[in-house]
Amino acid sequence: MAEPTTHTYQVNARLAIDTLEAGSGDPLLFLHGAGGLAWDPYLDALAARRRVIAPFLPGTSKSNDISQVRDLWDLVLCYYDLLDALDIGRADVVGHSMGGMIACEMAANDPSRVGRLIAIAPAGLFDMDDPMPDIFAMRSTELAERVLVDPKSPIAELLGAMPEDVDDQVDVLIQRLGTLSAAAKFLWPIPDKGLIRRLPRIKTPTQIIWGRQDGLIPVGYGDTFRDSIPGARLDVLDQASHLVQLERLPDVLALTWQALARPAGTAP
Amino acid sequence: MKVVAFNLMPYKDLPADFEKKYDSVWVSIPRSLYDPRKGHTYYHDYLDALETAVDLGYDAVGVNEHHSNGYGLMPSPNLMASILSRKVRHSDTTSVVVLGNSLALYNPPIRVAEEMAMLDVLSGGKFIAGFPVGTSMDTNYVYGINPSEMRERYYEAHDLVMKAWTTDEVFTWNGKYNQLRYVNTWPRTAQRPHPPVWIPGGGSVETYDFSLINDYSFSYLSFFGHKYAKKVMGPFWDRADALGKDRNPYRAGYAQFICVSETDAQAQIDYEEHVKYFFAKCMHIDPRFFEAPGYRTVASLRAGLRSQLDGTAKVGKAILDEGFGWKELVESGYIIAGSPQTVREQIIEAARELNVGNLIWLFHCGSMPQHLTLKNLNLFAEGVLPHIRNLWPEWDHRPFWPSGFGDPEPQDTRRSAT
Repeated sequence: MAEPTTHTYQVNARLAIDTLEAGSGDPLLFLHGAGGLAWDPYLDALAARRRVIAPFLPGTSKSNDISQVRDLWDLVLCYYDLLDALDIGRADVVGHSMGGMIACEMAANDPSRVGRLIAIAPAGLFDMDDPMPDIFAMRSTELAERVLVDPKSPIAELLGAMPEDVDDQVDVLIQRLGTLSAAAKFLWPIPDKGLIRRLPRIKTPTQIIWGRQDGLIPVGYGDTFRDSIPGARLDVLDQASHLVQLERLPDVLALTWQALARPAGTAP
Repeated sequence: MKVVAFNLMPYKDLPADFEKKYDSVWVSIPRSLYDPRKGHTYYHDYLDALETAVDLGYDAVGVNEHHSNGYGLMPSPNLMASILSRKVRHSDTTSVVVLGNSLALYNPPIRVAEEMAMLDVLSGGKFIAGFPVGTSMDTNYVYGINPSEMRERYYEAHDLVMKAWTTDEVFTWNGKYNQLRYVNTWPRTAQRPHPPVWIPGGGSVETYDFSLINDYSFSYLSFFGHKYAKKVMGPFWDRADALGKDRNPYRAGYAQFICVSETDAQAQIDYEEHVKYFFAKCMHIDPRFFEAPGYRTVASLRAGLRSQLDGTAKVGKAILDEGFGWKELVESGYIIAGSPQTVREQIIEAARELNVGNLIWLFHCGSMPQHLTLKNLNLFAEGVLPHIRNLWPEWDHRPFWPSGFGDPEPQDTRRSAT
């Protein structure tokens, strides 16, 4: 695996954002889910062909101060500020889960900033007739069962093993709780912050990817995303749950390259 | 020492296998377990008991707020306090305390300023206002407040309520969470500048400082008794010293189950079943709801996690899980129980140890039937209360207790002097 480098950008007067970056070529922004950012095989494969820039959600790494982000709207502006700080006018954006929600918001609020959009099991909707479970009231064993078809697969290790030493355990738990706290700021008590009203504003070519056995965000939500975003394409992969990009890595990669090969949206 | 006769108003008829069959007494407790006919009887029994406490001359009667909770059946404690204020207004000794309203849950928070002003006027200026931050179960999980906003909302609501109580001009509030063009709460509070404020809390340094700096009385509300409370009251008084505040015991209170009977042996016969009901069923809380991410600050988290992980600090329920009998509950101080003499000796020892002036007495426990509740109230009033009243003769309780209508406003005093 490539060793990503860590960077810090002062994106505006209040906030610095840390990123993991690797690869070269056209920039590709990756927005992680509520579990936090880890350099995984999917990102590594993307970095083989593109310059991958993966920001930590404010509050989930050392430079980022979540108290400086007021709400979801503020967060979206901070990510535009990050693109400015990177001197990137328009980027292709991949987002997973909560990151998929933020990616959709970026594309909907300012269609000129997102060239192509790939949303992997995005959050942002809530169907009372098909409710997603509460990720903020979940034991870690339940989480593994909900995000993986096979909770015993090696991928489960990415969800985090507990170190032996008590001091290390405290650090790991605080890091995890800090990450979840930051995510909760934008997802509490349920992740619907009105995105469905904004999805039709997305002009960007959009690829949606879902695992058919997703135990966290029901696969039916994918249809709503596809139907609400003009021209969006939805692919549902079998034998995959919420971490579909790891569970079905080659297929998700193929879909990703396909989507990135389509003509980018034109700035209005 | 001052004694608040305090009632949680639990549901007394949870099924015998409740803790085995269901996940939680709080947040997800099945609604179908609630029988409104029983609830009707409970409410009136509990109110009768609190009114009896007024007759018996306790210093205050107290109620509090919980939501979706099988042991705390007062989503609106103000409704109960308003009923009690009818009787409190005629009493020479008894005030009414709402401990309290979780400020972050009221939208707009001037609702609290209004309702508490109503209670203050109804009771004749004998009202104590409690402002808890609130538990994660009530605040985040049931009422949906974002944990990242909870403390900010609490502090902003507090500032708004206090300004509403102390400002006689119409003003505009431009807050982060509340924007109000015209703040002008009617009625005014009976007590000037405002009712005494008590801050019920757990063990966070932020809350100690907030209480001390504002000269509010801090109430440590736990169900695990005086020995457990030492962990909190020690650091609280250390903060008082650091902030240059005196050690007036009325700056602090703590909650305690106390069961009085004729003899120590009879206390076990009377109360054991009902105390065990409380600890087995009412403390049966699904750990998934203990704490929303962001509920505790990183500093409190770091301190708490370390002791949880290395096993030096077990929460009360974890100790109970290891098997606690009556003897252990008494010895570990979770309950004070026995003859009037046993009880008063232990209360005095605990109060001196903790340096607290306000005893938040949990006089009802778990499934206690009404006749035992009344027995407890009567025996305490006869055999305990007179012996603990003068525990702190050198300290003035008045900064932390209501004045009532008998205390004229300063400007009235001036007028009558001329």
